[in-house]
Amino acid sequence: MEILVCIKQVPDDSVAVRLGPDGQPDLTGAAMVVNAFDTYALEMAARLKESAGGRITVLCMGGETAKDAVKTCLAVGAERGFVLAGPELAPTDTLGKAAALAAAVRQLEEEGGQPFDLIFCGREATDRPTGQTGPQLAERLGLPVITDLVDIAADGGRVSAKQETEEGWRRVEAALPALVTVTKPAYDPRYPTIKSKLAARKMAIPVLSAEAQPGPAAAQLRLFEPPRRQAGVRVKEENAELSAIRAVELMAAAKVL
Amino acid sequence: MAYLISEEAQELLGAVKEFCDKEVREQAKEYDRTGEWPKEVYDKAIEMQLHMLEVPEEYGGMGLSRVDVAALMEEMAKADAGFATTISASGLGMKPVLIAGSEALKKRACKLIVDGGFGAFCLTEPGAGSDAGAGKTTAVRVGDEYVLNGRKCFITNGGIASFYCVTAMTDKAAGVKGISMFFIEAGTPGLSTGHEEDKMGIRGSNTCDVVLEDCRIPAENLVGAEGKGFSIAMKTLDQARTWMGCVAAGIAQRAMEEAIAYGKERVQFGKPVLKNQALQFKVADMAIKIETARQMVAHALTLMDMGLPHSRESAIAKCYASDIAMEVASEAIQMFGGYGYSREYPVEKLLRDAKIFQIFEGTNEVQRIVVANNTIGRF
Repeated sequence: MEILVCIKQVPDDSVAVRLGPDGQPDLTGAAMVVNAFDTYALEMAARLKESAGGRITVLCMGGETAKDAVKTCLAVGAERGFVLAGPELAPTDTLGKAAALAAAVRQLEEEGGQPFDLIFCGREATDRPTGQTGPQLAERLGLPVITDLVDIAADGGRVSAKQETEEGWRRVEAALPALVTVTKPAYDPRYPTIKSKLAARKMAIPVLSAEAQPGPAAAQLRLFEPPRRQAGVRVKEENAELSAIRAVELMAAAKVL
Repeated sequence: MAYLISEEAQELLGAVKEFCDKEVREQAKEYDRTGEWPKEVYDKAIEMQLHMLEVPEEYGGMGLSRVDVAALMEEMAKADAGFATTISASGLGMKPVLIAGSEALKKRACKLIVDGGFGAFCLTEPGAGSDAGAGKTTAVRVGDEYVLNGRKCFITNGGIASFYCVTAMTDKAAGVKGISMFFIEAGTPGLSTGHEEDKMGIRGSNTCDVVLEDCRIPAENLVGAEGKGFSIAMKTLDQARTWMGCVAAGIAQRAMEEAIAYGKERVQFGKPVLKNQALQFKVADMAIKIETARQMVAHALTLMDMGLPHSRESAIAKCYASDIAMEVASEAIQMFGGYGYSREYPVEKLLRDAKIFQIFEGTNEVQRIVVANNTIGRF
């Protein structure tokens, strides 16, 4: 099975990011990492490959620095990786990104002589979580799309996906080729081994060039920080029962009950 | 400052740190309490190949320099010294074979580790600690076999190893020149493990007696020649003890980091306690000691990588790093005040972990003998 995993390089989401004096996010101290949902997508793809056979290609938009993100993936299950460099797109321009990615997918398919059976994307990026790029890429490529997977199995020319819903999950099947987006599954991404990490360092990561895209369909008007959480009220009475009563009284007084 | 390492080792360091932060650091609190050998943690470490950093490249290893490995080892020690000790003691168990073993034994020992095993080095006996020549374990040649009898004690990895490098007397009359070194695989009839130590620190590592009762091994499992066991053991320790310095420096580094973080948070008299120069000076002294220890470790390892004599430097690195690990851990507790004495806070464990590094792989008194002999010379 030919599998493509589309990844994005984002600032480490475990580091709190504030707006700097220039009104832009101050990313000092936040290392660039692979988007967490994309690491889940890669792990799911790697497990699928291990059960059904095949090869995983990773594609990341960005310049030289994006190669680090691709290298990380090459150490944990991907066989080859590419970066897609080109004119910088507005951060809001998910349509432009989907179009550029679609063109790159076509190019890889033509050069490789075979189409991708399955394309994995993370459900959203942790830096600008719109959740749009995956479905938009599917639309551009004319592929069926299943979003928010927590598991997947392949059976002949079809995949059976476990899709997370607000109530729980449901089973959705699709014929291949298809595109899926992945949310947090029940397992964690694997660690690289020392040897796979050293081997990934030595692998070549070709650069594809993205075509220019028309301007963004959405515009960013303003960047602002979410309001800071107000200090809460601490309720600590003699015992849990009295604390609960006091909490209910406070909520009633504040008219939230 | 830290170890000066290659770019590839820097990348590995990030991955090792992530692993240790997620899988070892917090988990260590629990196995420090129970004294259990946390197999699930070691299984994950084996999967990541952290257990085979010292295996030479020609026998399936990574080909990293010793200083590169030291940076990774310190990261493991910062998370839990018991964890780092298990891994480092496995390297110790492999060294006699790498120093003096036949090609077949080298391949065998390295393969056992690459396949997910650990090694153990068995020199100490109940009546033979610093005085290794007083060992009572014997090996008798019978046909194309050796038959071993005796009891080894305080053996790190004794209960979990895949193979053992064991010293035994082949000629009692010859003293230390009658000691030979043997390679014994786990599961060999006659080899069993006895009393398991309930230790003060490094409780996530396994330490127990290894008992030999008519344990028969093929003659080709003799490492080097008969009578060379003591010399092989001393060469082994010359190399291995620097690694103990490396782990001790990691304990000290962790202690300092904990002390700094706490000193910034803890407010007394309306300001963080670390605003007091008295405590800042403590941190400065910690940093001076740790950096000195680390660079001594690096220097001894560089000498080893270059194939140069390193007995003296290795002894200095182990002795100094373990002495300052005790001092730094103790001062870290002091900076935590009463909380430092509580098991709910991380620093008391560091003092308990640090103590053994002044004792094993040659007490620090023995290290001083090595340094003195190599400094003063014969007269």
